[in-house]
Amino acid sequence: MNQTNLIESYRPCSGSYSLKKDLRLNAWLAVSMAVYLTALFLVKRHPAWSPWSRGLLLLTPVLPVLLYLRAWIRLVRGLDELQRLIQLEAFLFAALGTLLVGFVVNTLGAAGVWREGLNHGLGLPEGCMAMFALWLAGGALANRRYR
Amino acid sequence: MKNQLRVLRALKGWSQGELADQLGVSRQTINAIETEKYDPSLPLAFKLARLFKQPIERLFDGEEGR
Repeated sequence: MNQTNLIESYRPCSGSYSLKKDLRLNAWLAVSMAVYLTALFLVKRHPAWSPWSRGLLLLTPVLPVLLYLRAWIRLVRGLDELQRLIQLEAFLFAALGTLLVGFVVNTLGAAGVWREGLNHGLGLPEGCMAMFALWLAGGALANRRYR
Repeated sequence: MKNQLRVLRALKGWSQGELADQLGVSRQTINAIETEKYDPSLPLAFKLARLFKQPIERLFDGEEGR
């Protein structure tokens, strides 16, 4: 089986993009977001619930996130050896890049550069967005090297 | 690493995609090996040697190509 551009079929705007494959991979991410938003809504509507109940409810998205992780591991295992190397480079670029961005933002925040928004450093949503953007950039750079 | 993959593939008359199909890898992998940007793993190198019915040292000479 030719695995040409297998990872490309999951990347929007690429020539080989496949909505079906994208949905199959990212379905658990959508489920975890829906579960998280529902849990958040319920916790806000019922402030009288015990901290344990609220905590457990807010942790329910962990299960779909683990299933999302499993989908990714399966995808990476199915890739050929060069694609795996490219993905490893992209993930390293994303992880280290996010650490660097976080360090810069936190340092500038501590120095009082940000008046609003980022004055407490890089939060989880901003961190996830930075990681995703850096993963795309890292993947593009690695792909270019082996093209 | 220098290799004879492009020459051997041309002798067989296969495209990069056709060779990739036979090996179960991407066309990008074949291209990266041929252009000496990527050195294949040992299992893939043996697969190539078996496919072309050549000793592995004839396919890859072990010298740095980059």
